[in-house]
Amino acid sequence: MSRQASGLKAWVVQRVTALYLAVFFVYLLVHFLVAPPADYAAWRDWVAQPLVSLGLLVTVPVLLAHAWVGLRDVLMDYVKPLGLRVGLLSAAAFVFLAAGLWALRAILLVGLQG
Amino acid sequence: MKLSVYRFNPDTDQRPAMQDFEVEVTPGMMLREALLEIKKQDETFAFRHSCGEGVCGSDGMNVNGRNCLACITPLAELKEPILVRPLPGRPVIRDLVVDMTQFYDQYKAVKPYLVREDPLPEAEIRQTPAERDRLDGLYECILCGCCSTACPSFWWNPERFHGPAALLQAWRFLADSRDQATDARLDALEGPYKLFRCHSIMNCVEVCPKGLNPTRAIGRIKDLMLEKGV
Repeated sequence: MSRQASGLKAWVVQRVTALYLAVFFVYLLVHFLVAPPADYAAWRDWVAQPLVSLGLLVTVPVLLAHAWVGLRDVLMDYVKPLGLRVGLLSAAAFVFLAAGLWALRAILLVGLQG
Repeated sequence: MKLSVYRFNPDTDQRPAMQDFEVEVTPGMMLREALLEIKKQDETFAFRHSCGEGVCGSDGMNVNGRNCLACITPLAELKEPILVRPLPGRPVIRDLVVDMTQFYDQYKAVKPYLVREDPLPEAEIRQTPAERDRLDGLYECILCGCCSTACPSFWWNPERFHGPAALLQAWRFLADSRDQATDARLDALEGPYKLFRCHSIMNCVEVCPKGLNPTRAIGRIKDLMLEKGV
């Protein structure tokens, strides 16, 4: 089993993260439709609220995990050459890591200052 | 009625081509009978068929873009021009006859038979009516291959993904109260390919000529894995 990528685990991760994302994205959508922040300062105040900060912080790894399983599935289905597949997976991993850290930094900076 | 039929003979043809035939339609005529008429017009035309009543599963083919059994598909329900092609994604041996080896290999891989650890009893192994009911919607599969060859995941990974037909049978034996190899069966399905290439596209459910639901069976397998694993 150890030489295989995960099956059940990846599937469960995708399902569970989907639940969180579905709920939180509905909240985001409703918030930005009903009470969109008027300016940057208002947006900062919103992000600085503890629950919003926490929600956004959790979203980052959850979203990336969800996207990772989906992207891995696409590459497994469509990219057959091993070198290309590993290359694309690695590239995606680095982009995900960078994007995730960047998003966490943005949320934390606002959260800490607010 | 006009039928446009896929023709390919690898020995003589560079590439496949569609050939048109005109067939006299009689009331209640099934597609298989129309193909037999075509065979009368051109005896080099090849397709598989046997029982003629949706039981043997020999004449699975792609008609107007949808997999079906020719023998139980009424011509009256088909839009003209009727395009008849071999099951998608399978190597063509000739005309509508395809190589189903990978499909059967995947079926074989799920060990489609009862496995007993206990010594076999003298008499039959009894089931309650409720236990027997669990096999409904599973045992009826005739292995025509309409589902697996309609499945994109099986198109991309036919050597590694079991496909809906084999997975329906995997669940059929997991669900059987007489089987004693649940853990071994689940272990064998682990990994990202054999079971988890299924993305619930549900083409299998859409095309199954017996009205079975492989996607639901696959979901049950995943649930059981989760139950045993968490």
